[in-house]
Amino acid sequence: MKRPSGLAIITLLVLVFLFAPIIVVVLNAFNGNRTLDSWGGATGHWFSQAFHDPAVRSALWVSVRAALACTAISLAIAIPAALWARRAGPRARAVLDGTTYMRIVLPEVVAAAGLFLLFRRINFALGMPTIIAGHVVFTSAYATIILQARVATLTTTLEEAAADLGAGPWRRFRRVTLPLLRPAVIVAALLVFTFSMDDVVTSAFLSGDTVTLPVLIFGLMRFHVTPEVNAIAAGVTVLTLVTFSLSAALLGVRTGTSMVTGARASAAAT
Amino acid sequence: MSSGVLVRAGGARPARWLRRRRLFAGGLALPAFGWTAIFFIAPLVLLIAYSLGRIDIITFTVQWGWTTQSYSQVFQSLYLDAIARSLMLSVGATLACLIVGFPVAYYISLQRGRRQLILLVAIIVPFWTSFLVRTYAMTNILSYGWLGGGKLLDTPFAIGLGIFYSYLPLMILPLYVALERIDPSLRESAADLGAGAFSRLRRVIVPLAKPGIIAGCILVGVPSTGEYVIPSILGGGKVLMYGNVVADQFQSTGNYPFGAALSVTLMAALTIVVLVVRRAGGREVVA
Repeated sequence: MKRPSGLAIITLLVLVFLFAPIIVVVLNAFNGNRTLDSWGGATGHWFSQAFHDPAVRSALWVSVRAALACTAISLAIAIPAALWARRAGPRARAVLDGTTYMRIVLPEVVAAAGLFLLFRRINFALGMPTIIAGHVVFTSAYATIILQARVATLTTTLEEAAADLGAGPWRRFRRVTLPLLRPAVIVAALLVFTFSMDDVVTSAFLSGDTVTLPVLIFGLMRFHVTPEVNAIAAGVTVLTLVTFSLSAALLGVRTGTSMVTGARASAAAT
Repeated sequence: MSSGVLVRAGGARPARWLRRRRLFAGGLALPAFGWTAIFFIAPLVLLIAYSLGRIDIITFTVQWGWTTQSYSQVFQSLYLDAIARSLMLSVGATLACLIVGFPVAYYISLQRGRRQLILLVAIIVPFWTSFLVRTYAMTNILSYGWLGGGKLLDTPFAIGLGIFYSYLPLMILPLYVALERIDPSLRESAADLGAGAFSRLRRVIVPLAKPGIIAGCILVGVPSTGEYVIPSILGGGKVLMYGNVVADQFQSTGNYPFGAALSVTLMAALTIVVLVVRRAGGREVVA
C-alpha cells in the first residue's frame, strides 16, 4: 500500500468538511439537552414535537403539492423543448440554450422580484399558483438541460423506423422516444421535485399567506438554533436522501450520477 | 435511413408525415418559450420599467417616467457597503472554492471505477441536500465553543464560510467534468519530456481544465453575489448583502422603483462579468 498522496488527504478533509455539519444537525435533532451545549442523551421528543405541529404539517403539504405540480409542468415544458432542440437551427437553438442558462444563473432574488412586481401589477393574488409559476421558471431549465443531454446521445433511427412502420407522431413519442428518454426523465423529475421542495427565495417573494416548508423553516432559523428546527432539518435531509437513493436505485448509481454531473457542467458550458 | 428514403420515394404519405413533423416540431418549443416569456422575460422588462419610475413619498404609489433617480440612489454610501461586501464575499468565496475544489476534482478524475463513483456520489449528496439545512448546519457548527462559541456568527466571515460551504460542490462538479476529459497520455508525455509536477500542472492540466474553471467560477460567483438566504441566516440580519437590500425594498419598505433599480444594476453588472469572463476564456468554453 503506497503512502496516501497530498491530493487524497485534501479530498478526505473536504469530504469531512462537507458532511460533518450535516451530521451535527442530524445528531442534534436527537439531543436531549435543549440548549445543545452538550450531549444530553438521545430523545425522539423533538421529532414528535415538530411533526405534531400543525404549522409544520400544513407547510409540508403545501410544499409537496407545489413540488408535484412543478415536476409535472417542468417535464411538460422540458421534454418537447429538448426534442425540438435537436432539429432546430443553430440560431433558434442558441436562443433556447441562452434563456435556459439565464434562468439558472441569474440570482434568484432578481427573477423573484420581477415576478412579484408582475403579479402585483395585474392584481393576481399571491399563493399556490404564483409559487408554482416561479419555481417552474428555474426547475424547467434544469429539466431541459438534463433531457437535452440525453437527447443528444440518441439517433433518430428508431423513430424513423417507427414512422416507416406507420406509427403516428403521438404513438411514436409514447412507444419509442419516451422509453428512450426514461432515465433522463426520472433524474429530471427527482431533481425538479427536490429543488422545488427546497426553494426559499422565490417562495418567500411569491407565497403570500401560503407558507411553504422552507419559508417556515427559514423564519425559524433566522433567529434561533433550536432542537425542533434541527428535527425538521433532519427530516428534510432524510427526505432528500430518499429521493437521491431512489434515483440511484432506479437508474443504477452510475447513470444517475453522470447525469447530474453532466447536467451541471453543460449548464455552465453552454 | 435508406429504407426511409425508399418509402418516401414510394408514395405521398411519408412526405406529408415529414411536412407535418416540421409543423409539429415548431410547436414543441412553445411551452418552453411561452413560460420563459411570460414568467421570466416579462418580469425582467417590468423591473426595468419600474426602475425608471419614481415613488411618491406621500401616497406610496409608483409614478412612471424616465428618471434615473433610483439608480443614483443605488450608489449612495448607505448601500455601497452592502454592494462592496457582496462583491468581496462572492469573489473571495469563489477563489476559495476554486483553490480547494481543484485538487479534489483532480484527485477524483484520477480515480477509476467504483472508487471514483463513490467519491462523486459523496460530492453530489451534499449538493442534493437542502440548501437551507446546509446553511443552518453552519450555524450549528459555529455555535460551538471551540469555534468561537457563536462569536463568529453574524460576521462577514460566517457568511463567506457559508457561501464557500454551500457552493463548493458546484465548483468541484464542472472541474471534474473538464479534468476527466484530459487524456492521461498528455500528462505522461509531459512527464517523459521532463516536466516536473508543478510544471505539468501549470502548463498542461490547468490550461486544459480552463472550460471547467470558467464554468465553476460562473456557477459559484454569479448566484452568490445575489445571495439572500445565507446572509439572512449566518449574518443574523445585521450583516447585509445585495440580495437582502433588494428583498427589503419589496418585502418591507415598499420602494419598488429602488428595488427594481438595484435588481437591474445587479443583472447588468453580472451579465457584463459573464460576457467578459467567457470572452477571455476563448471559444472552447462554448462546448
